[in-house]
Amino acid sequence: MNRTVSSRISWWAALAVGVAVIASPVVAADFGPVPMLKVDAKKAALGKRLFFDARLSGDAGVSCSTCHIPEKGFGDGLALSKAYPGSDGFRNTPTLINTAHKAAWFHDGRLGTNLNDVTREMITETYVMNMDMRLMQERVKQDPVYVKMFKDAGYGEPSNGSVRKAIPEYLKTLTSRGSPFDAGKMSAAAQSGFELFKGKAGCSQCHSGPRFSDDTPHNLGVPENPEIWSNPARHMTYVAFGMFMGIENYMNIRRDVGAHIRTHKADGSDIGKFMTPTLRELTHTGPYMHNGVMKTLEDVVAFYNRGGGDDINKDPRIKPLSLSQEESANLVAFLQSLSGQPLTGPEHVWKDPINVNYAVIKDWLKQKN
Amino acid sequence: MKKGKTLSHAIVAASLGIAGLGFGFSAAADVNPPLAALGMPPVPRDNPQTPEKIELGKLLFFDSRIGGDASVSCADCHVPKQGWGFNDPISRGYPGVIHWRNSQTVINAAYLGKLFWVGAAKSLEAQAPGAALGAVSGNGERDMVEARLAFIPEYVKRFNQVFGDDWPKVNNVWKAMAAFERTLIHNDTPFDKFMRGDRSALSEEQVRGFQLFQGKANCVECHNGPLLTDQKFYNLGVPRAEDWSESGLAQITFRYEQLAKGVTEKLYRKIKDDAGLYYRTKQKSDMGKFRTPPLRYTAYTAPFMHNGSFFDFDEIVDFYNEGGGTNEFTDGVMAKNKTKLLKKLGLTDEEKADLVAFLESLSGEEIKMTTPKLPPYAPLPAVVQAN
Repeated sequence: MNRTVSSRISWWAALAVGVAVIASPVVAADFGPVPMLKVDAKKAALGKRLFFDARLSGDAGVSCSTCHIPEKGFGDGLALSKAYPGSDGFRNTPTLINTAHKAAWFHDGRLGTNLNDVTREMITETYVMNMDMRLMQERVKQDPVYVKMFKDAGYGEPSNGSVRKAIPEYLKTLTSRGSPFDAGKMSAAAQSGFELFKGKAGCSQCHSGPRFSDDTPHNLGVPENPEIWSNPARHMTYVAFGMFMGIENYMNIRRDVGAHIRTHKADGSDIGKFMTPTLRELTHTGPYMHNGVMKTLEDVVAFYNRGGGDDINKDPRIKPLSLSQEESANLVAFLQSLSGQPLTGPEHVWKDPINVNYAVIKDWLKQKN
Repeated sequence: MKKGKTLSHAIVAASLGIAGLGFGFSAAADVNPPLAALGMPPVPRDNPQTPEKIELGKLLFFDSRIGGDASVSCADCHVPKQGWGFNDPISRGYPGVIHWRNSQTVINAAYLGKLFWVGAAKSLEAQAPGAALGAVSGNGERDMVEARLAFIPEYVKRFNQVFGDDWPKVNNVWKAMAAFERTLIHNDTPFDKFMRGDRSALSEEQVRGFQLFQGKANCVECHNGPLLTDQKFYNLGVPRAEDWSESGLAQITFRYEQLAKGVTEKLYRKIKDDAGLYYRTKQKSDMGKFRTPPLRYTAYTAPFMHNGSFFDFDEIVDFYNEGGGTNEFTDGVMAKNKTKLLKKLGLTDEEKADLVAFLESLSGEEIKMTTPKLPPYAPLPAVVQAN
C-alpha cells in the first residue's frame, strides 16, 4: 500500500513538472516504428503452418487463426471472442500483431513470461482449444509434411515442446510496417491529433513506446458488456475461468474483475484494471476495449473526452478532456495513422491447403514409433 | 492357477443344488466359485441408492454437456441400442480422434470390482471421471462441468435435493451416474432362471453347452461365479487390432496412449500392441493381460475382446478351440505371459454349436431406453439466491 501511494505521488509530481515545462509526458521520446525481430525462417514457416492448423485443438476444429484472423488484423472483428465448442468467449480477441514485443499477455496480463507459455495456455485451455499436448504431439507426428518441416527447422522429430517454440517464432514475424505514422506521411489532421495525444488529451501517459502501450493494467471505468452476464455460454466460461484462477465468490460475480484475477489484492483495488492495449492496427481490429463495448474509434475518443466511465478504482488521470469536435476528429485521424499494411500475404499466412486426413504409416509393424 | 479350493465353496455349490441338477459336476473337479444366478449389485455405503439420485444420474448419463465440446455423453460410446457399448471393434472416441479399445457394456458393470479393461478403476464412481475427462473419450474438464451445470436450473435444484449442493459439484456427478448404472442390471436371463430351478429355461442343446462350459471346454476356469468372471487378468494371445496397421487416426491414439500410460521411451519406440495390465503394474509378466469379462448380455455386445477382434460367438469358440492365439507379448522371452489354461480343446462341430447355444442363454430381453428430455441452460439472475 505504502509503495502504491508513494509511487502515485511521485508520478503526479513528475507529471506536474512535465506539464509545467513543455506539456509533454516523459515517455514521448519512445515513439517510433516497432523494430523488426530477427527470425529463423524455417522455424517461423513451421510455426505458420501450425498456427493455421485446426488439428492442434481437441476436436480438430479450432486453430489459432479461428480467432486471430489475418484479414481482421489477427483479431476476429467481434466484440466478444468465440470459444471452443460448448463455450463462448468473455473477452475481445486482441491482435497478435507486435505481440512478440509485449511484456505481458491477455487483457488481464496474467501471463508475464513469454509466448511459449502463452501458446501452451491457448492450446490446452478448456474453453480455447482444449487439447491434450501429448495427443497434439502424436497428431503432428502423423503428418509427413510436419515431420520434414520439424527436421529441416532443426527440431528433430515433432514434439509438443517444439510446437511451443515454432509458433512464437512465427509470431515474431507479425510486426507492424508501413503505417503513415512510421513513414512520416501523416495528414495534417493526424499531426494535430498526435500533438493532442501527447498533450491535452494525455493519451501518451499510458499509450507510450513504439506499440503505444505501457504494458501495465489500468482502470478506465469501461462499462460491462451485459452480453457476458446474460448469455449462459459466456457467463459459464467466466465462471470456469474464475474457478480455475481462484477468485472468491465466483458464482456471484457479475463483472469482469480484470487484473484482480492474478494479483488478488485483498482491498479489491485491482478490480477492473485491464492492460493498456497497443494502438497499432486499430483500423483492422475493432470493436475496442477488453470487452468490445466500443464499436468505433470515435466512440473510444468520446469515452475519454467524457472522462471515462464510473468505477471506484478508476485511474485519477482519467478526467474530462474538453476536446472540441475538431480535436476529437484529429485524434481519431492520428489513431488511424498507426495502422499499416495488412499482414495477409503468404509471408504471414499459410496459403497451401493443409491435408488434415492423417496418412497411415505404412509397414507400421516395422517402423519405430 | 489359483484354484482357491475351499470347503466353503463346496458347501455353497452343494447348497445351491447344482450337483443335484445332474451335470456330472465331479468331472470338472472344480474348485472355482460356482456358477450361479445373479443377485442384486452391491451398493457402496457412501453412495446409497435413491430414486431421485438414480433419475439425476440418468439425465447426466445422457447429457452431452459433460463432454469437452458439449457434444459427447456417456451414451455416445455406451449406446443403449448397441448393447450399451459400441458396435465397432474399437470404440468411437471424442470428435477428432478414435479410441483404442472396445467399449464395454454398462449392463452389469455395477457388479464389477475392476472396471475398464485392466481394472484401472475399482468403482463406478471412479470409472465415470476416467471416461468423461480422458482426452480420447469425453475430453471434459472438472471446472467446466461444474460451470455448465450451474447454468441449468433443473440440475441446480436436483443436486440440491439429492446431495445438498448449493451448486452442482462435479464429484456428485459421478455418484449420480453410478447410482443410475446400478439399475442397469441383467440378472433374469434363461441361465439365471435355470439356476434358480426352472429346468425348462435352457434347451437341451444349451444344457449340453453348459456341461461343456464347465467340463471339456473349461471356460469356467475363468468365467466363474455368478458374474461368469473371476475378475483376474490373462493374456490369451488375442491378436492386435487391425486398425493400428491401417488407420492413421488409430496410430495416433495408439502412441498417445503409450505416453498417457507412462511407458519408457525405449518401449514407446518399439511397442506395437496394447500391453494391457502392464500399464498399471509396469511388470513385463503382465504384458498383454486383460481382465476376464462377464458373459451376460453378450448377445447384444459384439464385437468381443478388448480390441473387438471377434465378431460373433462362433469366432470366439473357434479361438478357444485352437487354444487361443499369439501376440507380441506371447512370443520369445514373453512366452510365459500367455495363460497355460488355454489348450486345444478338440471340440466337434456339434459341441461348438452347443457351447454357442449356451452362451446365448446368458442374455435375456434387451434393455431399451430412450434419451430423456434434458433440461436447458438459463441465465443466472443478477442477484443469486443460492439454495
